[in-house]
Amino acid sequence: MLLTVGLLRCMLYLGVLVEREVIFEVSARMNKGGVGVGPGGSVGAGSGPTAAATAAAAQKQKNLMQRVETDIANIVDNFTHLVNVARVNETPVRNSQEAFMMEMRAARMVQAADSLLKLVSELKQTAIFSGFASLNDHVDQRISEFNQLAEKTDRMLARVGEEAAGSVKELESHYYSSVQRTNQNLLP
Amino acid sequence: MVENLQLAHQELSVIFDLINTVEANDSVTVASMTNPKQLPKEILSDLAVSTATKLQCYRHLGKYFKQSAKALEQQVTREAKFYGALIRLQQNWKVKRQRVAATASSSEGFTIDLFDSSLHSSAPVYRPSSLSSICIDHNSAGMLAINLPPNSCHSLHFGFLGVHSNDITQKSSRNRTYNSVELPSKETEKESLNENDCVQETHSLLREVHRSIFDEQVFDMVNREAFNSSLGVNVTGIRENYLQLGMGPGNSVFVSLVSSKDDERVEEERPQNLKYAVFPLDSLDGVKIAEENSESFNKKSVLPNFIIYEIYLKQIFHEYVFVRAKDRPTSTAARVSGQPTKDGPGLLGHFCMSLAHRIFSNKVLTKLENVVCGVSYLHLISHPTWHSRISSWTIFMKVPRSILPASSQTQASDIPKMKNITKTEFRTKIVVNDDSIKVEAEGAPNVVGLLKGSSENVYSTNKYDCDLASLPVIVLQQVASQVVRWLHEEALKVGIKANRDFLCLSFKLEQGEIVSLVAHVDPEDTEGCISWWLVMEEGYVGERKLHMDVANGASECKKFLGYLTLDVLYSTLIDLVTLCGGSGTF
Repeated sequence: MLLTVGLLRCMLYLGVLVEREVIFEVSARMNKGGVGVGPGGSVGAGSGPTAAATAAAAQKQKNLMQRVETDIANIVDNFTHLVNVARVNETPVRNSQEAFMMEMRAARMVQAADSLLKLVSELKQTAIFSGFASLNDHVDQRISEFNQLAEKTDRMLARVGEEAAGSVKELESHYYSSVQRTNQNLLP
Repeated sequence: MVENLQLAHQELSVIFDLINTVEANDSVTVASMTNPKQLPKEILSDLAVSTATKLQCYRHLGKYFKQSAKALEQQVTREAKFYGALIRLQQNWKVKRQRVAATASSSEGFTIDLFDSSLHSSAPVYRPSSLSSICIDHNSAGMLAINLPPNSCHSLHFGFLGVHSNDITQKSSRNRTYNSVELPSKETEKESLNENDCVQETHSLLREVHRSIFDEQVFDMVNREAFNSSLGVNVTGIRENYLQLGMGPGNSVFVSLVSSKDDERVEEERPQNLKYAVFPLDSLDGVKIAEENSESFNKKSVLPNFIIYEIYLKQIFHEYVFVRAKDRPTSTAARVSGQPTKDGPGLLGHFCMSLAHRIFSNKVLTKLENVVCGVSYLHLISHPTWHSRISSWTIFMKVPRSILPASSQTQASDIPKMKNITKTEFRTKIVVNDDSIKVEAEGAPNVVGLLKGSSENVYSTNKYDCDLASLPVIVLQQVASQVVRWLHEEALKVGIKANRDFLCLSFKLEQGEIVSLVAHVDPEDTEGCISWWLVMEEGYVGERKLHMDVANGASECKKFLGYLTLDVLYSTLIDLVTLCGGSGTF
């Protein structure tokens, strides 16, 4: 029983570390060009108009970390209680009491997991709407590609036009020197 | 055993005391109670029940955790699909997040903004379309979905009034591109598609909406400029999403916005009470009715393909509004010729002038083709100018090779005597600039020489304007004068001096008579546009023959030679030279 609880704690703390890494990366995107933020939540001093943005980003990171730790602790705590009440008591009243508590603990665990999922959704949204650097690079790249495509199309159109003009000239020459046209003119 | 008996004896004594007390009518109170001590069997059974109960409770929790895990996994999958698709869409489209809380459970508060903010900086401010902001939703499968209201997408249609057979076939082919709008809204089809297909379809749908917004902006621009008194453009009809423009006599076009659903009912968009109202489509039998009407058929033959100008309208709007708004260096300046200037007509004016020029140049081309068909030794050469309002052709005439060896030998021997090398190729260039025709040709007689009554051996290149009605006559006269000039040079080569007029080459006989070879031009002559006459007169020098009576073909002084080719003309010239005795002089 204790071994199971210990194993679970290790897995959950590993998940917490992964979440922290994700939050760090998102914060780095938000603070592009700014000072990196460490696990302790210390914020490098910014200056100028981005200081408020940097402070806001650091505060948001702190809140996210707090939420993650709260949720993880919630899950671990409730699961610990669930395991602890596995012991069967002599009095049936206590057993009934523990049964209700177990349901409550389980519901809290699911609620904490759902909260973590919402946190992940928020992180994804933040990643989508904060990655301006990569987005701008991608947009510039696409613009360059489309410009090249447009120039290529223009050159192709010019070539098509030249070929069409040459073909028209050749066809006209063949037609007017053809026997058919000559015979057509000789007909009354 | 003994202990149990002792306990039983104690309990019995208590009972006896109780009975005696009750019999003595004394009150009896409970001093204490003790639970009977459970037997081990009873303890074990109670424990077993509690254990089973707790086990059942844990199983119930297990089921609950499984259901929750499954639901959370589904949610994770749905969100992974949704955000994956959203990230892919964000690569090409502007995704915005709504800050207000989403009321609907399926709404994530995301929108795609299709409005081009760079247009705000341009002078004409374009209204943002109702489709500029599109909400992103989930469908039941968790995939990203975009639902558009029906009939929300419009497409720009352009056409010529009175010629609509092309419109039916062309517009029916457009229906396929807009059917895809409905596909994403069908959930049964959506569920069977994987994520890639869903993203691709969403891209296509957004592209259609983007194109629809662009078409609406083009129509907006056309509407705005149509009432700014552009050159030669009058608004002859207007309805909702429909504009009819008149560009001169007999040419009317329409520009309309048709919703995707109304593509099949396009005839309802056209008004029935205008001067150039089209026939109801139900009464049409393909193109048969149009072909039976020769006037409409001729009209159709000079009208360009409406698809071309529909594309051109969109292209010039895109080039001169979007591209300039973004200050992109226009590498396509060479391709888009005829750029409208700031001070000149607007985009619509330039477009209408280009269209009018194309219609006019088609008529010019028809005239030139008729002329070339009527004269066997003429070639028509087209010169693509890549300019939307300039067209150019050349009427080319070349001396046949069968004549050249003789003339070239003569030419070689007389090179020291002759001042000019005989031309064997003659060109008449016709340039149409908007609706003005310019004819440029060599071999026109010198005006001073004409006035002095003698021909000068001066070959100048003349340029002059003409209208459409007189173009065939002018071209034929030019060609005939070139032929006369050539004959004159050939006559000089063989030592005969001849008098050359505009369309007449005269020789003097030994008896003093004058024999003239005269050209007559008639564009309406179906047998040939240039005919030749032989005219005999006595002793008049310098008399002009410009007013010869051609009706009197059987006159003794005039003989109709027919529609002669260059070979036959050359042979006729040699015969005349022989007739002159080789020593005719002036």
